Amino acid sequence: MAFRSTRRSPDSASRRRWFPLRYLLPVLVLFAMLAMLMLRGYVHSEILADFRVRPGTANDKVPEQILDGGPVIDTRGRTPTTLRVPDHRIVLTFDDGPDPTWTPRVLDVLKKNHAHAVFFVTGTMASRYPELIRRMVDEGHEVGLHTFNHPDLSYQSKRRIDWELSQNQLALAGAAGIRTSLFRPPYSSESENMDNASWPVTQYIGSLGYLTVVNDTDSEDWQKPGVDEIIRRAKPEHGQGAIILMHDSGGDRHQTVRALGRFLPEMQEEGYRFQNLTEALDAPSAHTKVTGAELWKGKAWVFLVSASDDITDVLVVGLAAIGSLVLARFGLMLLLSGLHARRTRRKSFRWGPQPVTEPVSVLVPAYNEAKCIENTVRSLMRSEHPIEIIVIDDGSSDGTARIVEAMGLPNVRVVRQLNAGKPAALNRGLANARYDIVVMMDGDTVFEPATVRELVQPFADPRVGAVAGNAKVGNKDTLIGAWQHIEYVMGFNLDRRMYDVLQCMPTIPGAVGAFRRSALERVGGMSDDTLAEDTDITMAIHRDGWRVVYAEKARAWTEAPESVQQLWSQRYRWSYGTMQAIWKHRGALLDRGPSGRFGRVGLPLVSLFMVVAPLLAPLIDIFLVYGLLFGPTEKTIVAWFGVLAVQVVCAAYAFILDREPLTPLISLPLQQILYRQIMYVVLLQSWITALTGGRLRWQKLRRKGGVSAPPSEPGQRSPVMDGSSA
Amino acid sequence: MDTQATPPYPFPPARQEAPPMTAPPGVPFGTSEAPPAPVADKPRRGPVRDRYFDLLRAIALFRVVFYHLTGWAWLPVVFPSMGVMFALAGNLMARSLKRPPLQVVRSRMRRLLPPLWMLGAIGVTGMVLQGWGPDEDGHPGWWWLHLTFWIVPLSDPPYAEGVHGIHGILGDDWAAEIAGPLWYIRAYLWYVMLSPLILKALRKLPWPTVVAPIAISAAFEFGYLDFLPGERFPSALTDFSTFGACWILGMAHQEGVLKRLPRYVVPSVVPAIAAAGMWYAVTHGFKAGHDLDDIPFAQALWSFATVLMLLHVSPSWSEWPRPLRPLDRIVTLLNSRAVTIYLWHNICILIAATVWDQMWRVDTLAMNVPWLLQSLWPVLAITWVLIGSCIVWFGWVEDLAAKRAPQLWPDGSPKRGGRRSRARSHRA
Repeated sequence: MAFRSTRRSPDSASRRRWFPLRYLLPVLVLFAMLAMLMLRGYVHSEILADFRVRPGTANDKVPEQILDGGPVIDTRGRTPTTLRVPDHRIVLTFDDGPDPTWTPRVLDVLKKNHAHAVFFVTGTMASRYPELIRRMVDEGHEVGLHTFNHPDLSYQSKRRIDWELSQNQLALAGAAGIRTSLFRPPYSSESENMDNASWPVTQYIGSLGYLTVVNDTDSEDWQKPGVDEIIRRAKPEHGQGAIILMHDSGGDRHQTVRALGRFLPEMQEEGYRFQNLTEALDAPSAHTKVTGAELWKGKAWVFLVSASDDITDVLVVGLAAIGSLVLARFGLMLLLSGLHARRTRRKSFRWGPQPVTEPVSVLVPAYNEAKCIENTVRSLMRSEHPIEIIVIDDGSSDGTARIVEAMGLPNVRVVRQLNAGKPAALNRGLANARYDIVVMMDGDTVFEPATVRELVQPFADPRVGAVAGNAKVGNKDTLIGAWQHIEYVMGFNLDRRMYDVLQCMPTIPGAVGAFRRSALERVGGMSDDTLAEDTDITMAIHRDGWRVVYAEKARAWTEAPESVQQLWSQRYRWSYGTMQAIWKHRGALLDRGPSGRFGRVGLPLVSLFMVVAPLLAPLIDIFLVYGLLFGPTEKTIVAWFGVLAVQVVCAAYAFILDREPLTPLISLPLQQILYRQIMYVVLLQSWITALTGGRLRWQKLRRKGGVSAPPSEPGQRSPVMDGSSA
Repeated sequence: MDTQATPPYPFPPARQEAPPMTAPPGVPFGTSEAPPAPVADKPRRGPVRDRYFDLLRAIALFRVVFYHLTGWAWLPVVFPSMGVMFALAGNLMARSLKRPPLQVVRSRMRRLLPPLWMLGAIGVTGMVLQGWGPDEDGHPGWWWLHLTFWIVPLSDPPYAEGVHGIHGILGDDWAAEIAGPLWYIRAYLWYVMLSPLILKALRKLPWPTVVAPIAISAAFEFGYLDFLPGERFPSALTDFSTFGACWILGMAHQEGVLKRLPRYVVPSVVPAIAAAGMWYAVTHGFKAGHDLDDIPFAQALWSFATVLMLLHVSPSWSEWPRPLRPLDRIVTLLNSRAVTIYLWHNICILIAATVWDQMWRVDTLAMNVPWLLQSLWPVLAITWVLIGSCIVWFGWVEDLAAKRAPQLWPDGSPKRGGRRSRARSHRA
C-alpha cells in the first residue's frame, strides 16, 4: 500500500453516478467466481449430496409378479409387468460412471470382444466427462439414468426425484445429444429385493415413462473379491440369459477390467452374446435424439461444468500463488525491516560526515483547508530546524490563504494561484523556495517539532535525492481509524523499510517528504500525468540514479478518512494512480544504468506487491466462504486463523518497531473480515477503470480538522483532538 | 448521558413527581427515573427520557411476549431481551444512586413489588380455591414460609403444580405459567439490593467488576460450583451470573466506563465474544426447545456481547428521529406498563391459545381454514388484546406504587392525565 497525500480536485460533481458501477462490476466478478466454485462443488457431490441408505423393510405391498419376475420392470401401464433377457444373451450393466480412468478401459475390452453393454451413469459424472458418454453411444452401448448425484430415492420427495432425472437427462443431452428411457435406482439389486420403500418410487418412475432395470446377478466387483470370484458371481447358470451388475467407477476397477477380459471370450465360447438391453429384448433402441432448445440447454450445462472445473483449477493455482506470495512478502518484510531498523538505529550511524543544519523550505499546498491550515502552520512554527514556510493556495474558496495571512507569522509566505491542481501548486512553491532542500507536506498534516530536522538528515549523504517520512494516523479512535492506523504502521515500518533496503521505494508520501531541489529540477518537477504525482516523481528520481530513503523518526500526523465513502475515493485514486505511474515508467524495464536497475528490480516488485497480489487476495476469502459452507469446515477455520496469526505477528512487529502501543491490534481480526475486502474491490475497480480507459473523478475529503497537534510524547495513544477548531 | 435537558422548572413541583410531557411515568423496569420532589428550593432539571433506551425496552418486551408464544429458538438470538432489560435497569439504577443508597433501594422495591402483589393476590387466591394449601407437600411450615416469597421474592414464589384450568378459557397448569416469569423479578430484586455494592466495585475496578458475573457463570458451567446446596440457591445464582454482566454494563455505561475506551475497542471485541457464545451454544445442543435459556453460559456471553454493542451504539435520542416518531405512543405505553405487561403476559398467552383452540369446534372453520386455526398470528393478536385489558385492569397499581395519580392508558397522549405536566412544561 502506498501512503501519501490526500489529493483534491475542484471536480467534485457527480459522485452518485459512479455508485452503481463501482460496486456492480467487482461484485459481479466475485459472485461469478463463487458461483463457479459452487457449481464445481455440486457436480463433485460436495453440495446437496445425500449419503443415507435405507435399510431393507417389509415387502408385503410389492406385487408377487414383481418379486418373482424378471429384472426389467415396466410400470408404465396399469398393471406392472416384468421382462427377462432370453437365454444365451447377457446384458452387462455398469453403474456409477463414467470414470475418466476405468470407463475407457472397460470400453476398450468391450470393443475388442465386439460386445455391447448398458452404462447407468450419474448426472454428476456425465457432466464432467461428456466425451465418454459420446464414446459409449458411438460404440453401440446404451446409456441409462442412475440419477444426478446418487441419493437413495426412497428418502426423496417427488420433486427431488423429478429433478434428479431431468438433471441426469440434461447431462446426457449435453454430452451426446440423446435422451434415454432406461433407469436404474441407486442402491438397487434384484427384483426380489424390492420393498415397501422402493416400490412406490419404482411405480412413480414408471409413470414418468421409464423402464426400471435391476439385475439377475451381482458381480459385487466393488468389494474387489478377485477376478475369479467376480466371474463366479456374475456367471448365469444353465445358459440362462442375465443382466449382470458391475461398476466402472467409484474406485480401483482393475479387477473388473481383468475379469471382463476373461469373462467375455469364455462366455462367447459357451454361445453367449453380449448385447445392450434393447438388442437383447429385441426392442427399439432406448435412445432418442434430442434437438432444439433441450439440446442447447444440455450443451450449455456441460460447458458450464467444464468451465467451472477449469476455473476452479485456476483459482486453486491462484490461491497457492497468492498464499506463497503473501508469506514470502511477510518473510521478506520481517527480515529486511529488521535489518533496516538495526542499521539506522546503530549508535554510530551517520548519514554523512556533517549533520544537515542548513535551512530548508517547507511547501504546504492547500486547497480549501480552512479547518486545518492553522494547526498545520502552527505545528511548523515549533520546528527545531530553521525553515521558511510557503503556503500555496490553490484557488481555495474558503479563505484558506487569508487565514494564514491573518496569523501574521514571520517566515510564512502565502502564494496564491488559480486552481490548477496539486502538482502545479508544488511546482509554483518550488519556484518560490529559497533553499536547496524542499520539504513537502499536506495542508491537513501536523508535524512534530523534530520532524523537519529528522526528515532532512539523510541529505548529508550526497547520493540521497528524496526522503520519505513516517505518516501516522491522528484520528485512530474509531474502528475505521484504527484499521487505517494498523495499515499505516505496517506500511511505514515494514513495507517502506523493505523498499529502502531494496532501493526501490515507490512513493514519497505527500503528507511528509523531502526532496533535493537539484533532483527535482533534473526530472522536471512535479507532473500531472498521473493521479499519484508523488509516486510518479519518486519513480522519476529513482530512474535518475538518486537514492530514496526512509526516515522513521520524521513523524507527521495526518487525518485519515472517517467514512467508507471517503476512504473509497482516496484509495481508488491511490491504486489507480500507482497503476498509471507504473505504466508511465514501464520504459525503465529496458533502460541501462540506474534507471534500468529500478525498472528491472523495483518496478516488478512494486507491481507484484501493490497491483497483482492484492488482486489475487480475494481468493483467500472466496475459499474461506466455500470451505466454511461446503468444505472441511474445521480445517478452513484453522487455516484462516493461521493466516490471521501471521498477520498479527507482522503487525505486532511493525508496532514494536514504531514503539506504538499494541491495543489497536484487537481490531485486526475484524479488519480481515471487513476492511481488506473493501480494498480489493477498490483495486478491482481501478483495474476495470484502467482496462476500460475510464476517467477518474474524485472529491475532496470532508475535513474535520481533528488533528491539531502531534501527541506530546511519541508513541502515546490519542493525539490531542481539538473539536473546537472545527 | 449528554442529552439535552428540558428547561429547568421555575417552581419546584409540588408533591407529585411530574415528568415532562413526552415522558410517561417511570416504572421500576428501568424506565426513566422520576426523581422525588427535591428537598431544596433550587431549580432542577427535569428527567429526560432517552428514547433509544425506550425503544430497546419496548422491543425487548415485545420480543419476550412473542417468544413465549412461539418458542422460536432464534428469537432470543436475534434480540436477547432479558439482557437488554437488565442493562437498561442497571443503567437507571446507577443514575439513581446519586442519592443515598438505602433510599434508592427502598424506592425501587416500593415500585416493583405492588404489581407483583396484585398478581399474587389473584393468582394465589385462584390456586387456593383449586385446593392448593399448606398440606400440599407435607411441610405446612415451609409452605407458609415460601408463601412469603410472593411478598418479597428473595427466592422464587411457590405455585400449585398441575392445577386444572377452566375449560375453553384457561388452559391447565396455569399456575406454572403465572410463576414462570417471576425469576426475573427475583433476579431484579437482588440486583437492586446489591447495586450500591456493585457501584462501589465498579468505580474501583471497572472491568473486573463487569466481567465477574461471566466468570461466575463459567464456574457454574464447568462444574466448580456444584457443591451449592438445594435448588433455590443455585438457581438464583445462575440467573444472577447469567445476566449480571448486562446489569453491570448498564451501570458502567451510566458511569462513563465505556466512553473511556477508544471507540474501536467495543466493535472489535464484541464479535469475538458473540462468536464464542454462539459456538458454545451450537456445540451444546442448540435447537428449538433447547435454546439460549437452557445454555446459561452461552446466554451470558451472547447477551453480554449484544448489550455491549447496543450500549456502544447508544445514540442518546432526547427526541425521536423522524421515521420512528409514529412509534412514540406505543413505545411510551409499553414503557409505562412494563411490569404489568411482563407479569401478566404469560397468562394472557395461555388464555389466548386456549380460546383460539375453541375455534376447532366450528366445523366450517376446521374444514376450510385449518391453517388459520393452526396459525400463531391470531393468538398473538388476541394475546395483545388481553394484555391491553390487563393494562387497564391492573396497570394502575404501577402508578400507585410510584405515588402517582393512576392512569388507565398511559401512552403519553395529551388527552389523558398529561394535561398537568403539559401545562407545567408550557410555563417552563
